[in-house]
Amino acid sequence: MIDKAIMRLSGIHKLMGLLAGLDVSQAIFIIGQAYNLSSAITGLWQGHGLAAQIPAIIWFIVFFLARHLINYLKDEMLDKFAATKAKELRRELLEKLFRLGPQIVQREGTGNVITMTLDGVALVENYIHLILNKMINLTIIPWIILAFVFYLDWESGLVLLLVFPIIIIFMIILGYSAKAKADRQYKSYQVLSNHFLDSLRGIDTLKFFGLSKRYAHSIYSTSERFRKATMSTLKIAILSTFALDFFTTLSIAIVAVFLGLRLIDAKILLFPALTALILAPEYFLPVRDFAGDYHATLDGKNAMTAIQKILAEPEIKANPVVISTWSEESSLVLQDVKFSYGKNEFLQPVNLTINGYQKVGIIGMSGSGKSTLVNLLSGFLQPQQGRISIDGNELKNLNQDSWRKQLLYIPQNPYVFEATLRDNLTFYTPDATNEQVRAAIKVVGLEELVSELPEGLDTQIGNGARALSGGQAQRIALARAFLDQERKIMLFDEPTAHLDIETELELKEKMLPLMQNRLVLFATHRLHWLQQMDIIVVLDEGKVVEIGKYQKLLAQKGYLYRLKNRMGGKLNEQNTLV
Amino acid sequence: MNKIPLFKELKHDRWVKPFFKQYKKTLVTALILGFFTFFCGSALMFNSGYLISKSASLPVNILLVYVPIVLTRAFGIGRPLFKYLERLTSHNWVLKMTSKLRLKLYQTLEKDAVFFKRDYRMGDVLGLLAEDINHLQNLYLRTIFPTVIAWIIYIFVVIGVGFFSWWFALVMLLYFGGILIVFPLWSVIVNGARQKREKVLKNELYTDLTDNVLGISDWIFSQRAQEYVALHEDSEAELLAVQAKLRKFNNLRNFLFELAFGMLAILTLLWTSTRFIGTHGGDANWIAAFVLAVFPLVDAFAGLPAASQETNIYADSLNRLNNLPDKAITKKVETDLPQNPLDLKVQHVSFQYTATQKEVLKDITINISQGEKIAILGRSGSGKSTLANLLRGDLQPTKGSILLGDAVVSTLDDTVADYIGVIQQVPYLFNTTVINNVRLGNENATEKEVWDVLERVNLKKMIAALPNGLETMVDEAGLRFSGGERHRLALARILLQNTPIVILDEPTVGLDPITEQALINTFMQELKNKTIIWITHHLKGIDNVDRVIFIENGILEMEGSPTYLEQTSARYRNLKNIDNGE
Repeated sequence: MIDKAIMRLSGIHKLMGLLAGLDVSQAIFIIGQAYNLSSAITGLWQGHGLAAQIPAIIWFIVFFLARHLINYLKDEMLDKFAATKAKELRRELLEKLFRLGPQIVQREGTGNVITMTLDGVALVENYIHLILNKMINLTIIPWIILAFVFYLDWESGLVLLLVFPIIIIFMIILGYSAKAKADRQYKSYQVLSNHFLDSLRGIDTLKFFGLSKRYAHSIYSTSERFRKATMSTLKIAILSTFALDFFTTLSIAIVAVFLGLRLIDAKILLFPALTALILAPEYFLPVRDFAGDYHATLDGKNAMTAIQKILAEPEIKANPVVISTWSEESSLVLQDVKFSYGKNEFLQPVNLTINGYQKVGIIGMSGSGKSTLVNLLSGFLQPQQGRISIDGNELKNLNQDSWRKQLLYIPQNPYVFEATLRDNLTFYTPDATNEQVRAAIKVVGLEELVSELPEGLDTQIGNGARALSGGQAQRIALARAFLDQERKIMLFDEPTAHLDIETELELKEKMLPLMQNRLVLFATHRLHWLQQMDIIVVLDEGKVVEIGKYQKLLAQKGYLYRLKNRMGGKLNEQNTLV
Repeated sequence: MNKIPLFKELKHDRWVKPFFKQYKKTLVTALILGFFTFFCGSALMFNSGYLISKSASLPVNILLVYVPIVLTRAFGIGRPLFKYLERLTSHNWVLKMTSKLRLKLYQTLEKDAVFFKRDYRMGDVLGLLAEDINHLQNLYLRTIFPTVIAWIIYIFVVIGVGFFSWWFALVMLLYFGGILIVFPLWSVIVNGARQKREKVLKNELYTDLTDNVLGISDWIFSQRAQEYVALHEDSEAELLAVQAKLRKFNNLRNFLFELAFGMLAILTLLWTSTRFIGTHGGDANWIAAFVLAVFPLVDAFAGLPAASQETNIYADSLNRLNNLPDKAITKKVETDLPQNPLDLKVQHVSFQYTATQKEVLKDITINISQGEKIAILGRSGSGKSTLANLLRGDLQPTKGSILLGDAVVSTLDDTVADYIGVIQQVPYLFNTTVINNVRLGNENATEKEVWDVLERVNLKKMIAALPNGLETMVDEAGLRFSGGERHRLALARILLQNTPIVILDEPTVGLDPITEQALINTFMQELKNKTIIWITHHLKGIDNVDRVIFIENGILEMEGSPTYLEQTSARYRNLKNIDNGE
């Protein structure tokens, strides 16, 4: 029942031992409480007067207090334990995520990763608390109570004992049938439940087609269909709760009736009968508690599984290799480097040598393997075969601190943090001086933005505060590059594809000087950049089809030449790219 | 009472209170069933206590305990049965409400549909609003229903005890009342504030983490990733402290709550010992009955403190919903319909979003005759998208007027959809079948007509190859339409809609040049008899249009046919060359 991952938590065995001990004493207190209450009532019934019952009443109070005090203690202990473990788990998860990098975030979805880290871990925390408490309660308390009931009156004990497996069996059977029914309905269910949000998101589209007013009717009728589907599932789904309730209350009723009948026949006395009756609901309490929190534990279990899956993700980071600072004499060699995922070959064996401060243009359309090559170069992917070497040192992959330390990665949408403009600019160089920052602003042309901001450099920018345009975000990335002169390798991934052409031109002017005395790897499908590159790598369907200087490649009228013409948009050349 | 956020919200509420009047019968049934659930629970123990006491007094005839025996069984079966029915009834009522609430939310948002996304672009407000409706469901199910049922039981208990003793009824009135009011109030005031703080901190953490996960590459390349993990733990510390306090309070409150019920049992015992006196039976048979009946009552009240504390969260949801504009449905004014030819006349139009903001467009005059194709170029933020919204009448010019076939565009309301179609930058595909998505353009289109338009946009082959053809869901696992394909589907819709005028709002951003070029060619070919207003940020394919308009800082900067501009403007020539890769 308890997840293996939970059992691996440090300190869990000690805690479980402690809880078990507390549960044994709690069961004894419950019995004491029932015993004394019953004794007081019986005394009164026999006509002994209230004064004679005072010791029993006091003992009842003591046992009652002690019993709930134990609950309190258990909750406190479990809260602390679960909170500590949750914190550890969250740290572990975050560390893992920040080692794995953007690939995993993209695959799992940003929203998903964040929900997992915050809400998912909270669910696990709740799960740890619940499962430990309820499982141990269930394995200890009912049985001690049952033993005592047997001691008082074995026939009542037998009734209670027999009901227990019946409850479990019915809950399992009904649980399965509910699940089967729910599974059958799941698909239509999902569509219906997403329908509302889907309609809200597409509301402007509906408006454009003049359908939005009439569509309100569809919202209502779909929601009503959803209601009917939910109700018919619910009828079955809560049957298991019903069964639990039914058998527990009914068996209490049966115990009462049996006791009554045997009391009439004078086969038992009031005191043991009353005690057994008071204990009967207590006997069922742990199993009812357990069932009541079933869904919370299920959510927690699922969250735990999802988190464990991420934690088990393989990491490609290999032993650190010393890579000297990139200089004019350095070289990076890719030899037969290949990457595939499943059956898809994203990159067929590539041979490439890059030297010194070359500017390398990487060109290709969507699906050409350009992104895969960029991800290999940035160290987020590991090639299946082939050799990578830098200055003769062989590497398994480029997930190397000493490589990344030299790298400036500028993607299509550089990320602007919700922080001050200054912090954003100096993200890579927290120690940059004011003068350096001012110089960077000038170099990349951010003066206008700075003058518009109410608090200048110290204004909060970023999504929540003040969103920047795509061009401004690129300028910030460039300023980071200007400030960090230590980084000698620039890796661009479609930096200007989404910008309007005039902004693109302005940026180009700012970018070119920054590329001097650096190795530049520039992936793009905007052809005008190619004239500034020393060497062009042309990719098509995961293959390097041409390597060479721009003018030379154009002159040989190969793939690049045809690509250029086709982009030029002559209708008659539309489908001649072979 | 003003300290309790939920009550404050309910004062001017349009989303919870009005709905109590609906489906009254179901609502009352649910409450009655809820009452009987707890009634049976207590009555079972009451009856059992009486039964065994009476039996212990050795009645001469078994028939004397016959009634209690039957009742014991009846209550034993009644409790689970009522509980089951209560859950079904209350869920049914709440889901009926949900349908109405969703309709109401949709209608509220529909009025401003086109700008909704712009006004609420921060975060996923749509998701939040949809979630708010779910929160209201919980407000009914977890707070309002149990509270009302608890009060009914309270009243019942006090009246019931009153039959035996007026003074003990008074004691119950005060003691129970104390439990019923003090615990929830105490929770909502002390812990409610903490819970609110918890929510604020959680939201902060959420935004903070989102921000940094989005910027994860920079943390990694700057080799500061582990630094961030430490940073995150710092900002998490306060949240953890608040949560620890919350839990500590809850544990203590639960403990005290149990004690209060223990005391209640003793009070009952003391009272019955003076009220029901007997020796080996007689009146004393009632003692066990009353005392045992106290314990099951805990179930009816135990959830209330936590439920009342949660209301602070619901209050937020309610607040958000109540803050949505409450616009009365405007009666449609009969307007003159546009007359042929469908020329668009933009006359001296200026526009600003609010009086305090700067003008987005300044004194723009453009005449677009039917069938003309124009491209509007400009930087992002230059006002070109605003112009498109003005053309469709979704915005009204601050100054000047826009006429379509001599009718004022903004008065056309939904009929404008018969004249002007729009292809957005990111066309929205509904999570339904391909055919339903295409049929948005014309709900009465036959399957053949749908295949025809799909052929025209070059998607026929691809869709015919799908296992379910037109019936394939657009977001089914494994099938994702690429950017270019989405635009083609959007075009297919427009072709079915068959409006004489089509606005293309930057339809090719982010596509690679080959896809872009092919898409432009399809657009131009298939829309060749229509007026096209094409907003773009590139010059690719610009030779297809009759006229190019440059907008810069809200002003019409340059205008003319592509050939004319090519001859007269160096700037134009330069941009065009660059786009061609020169």
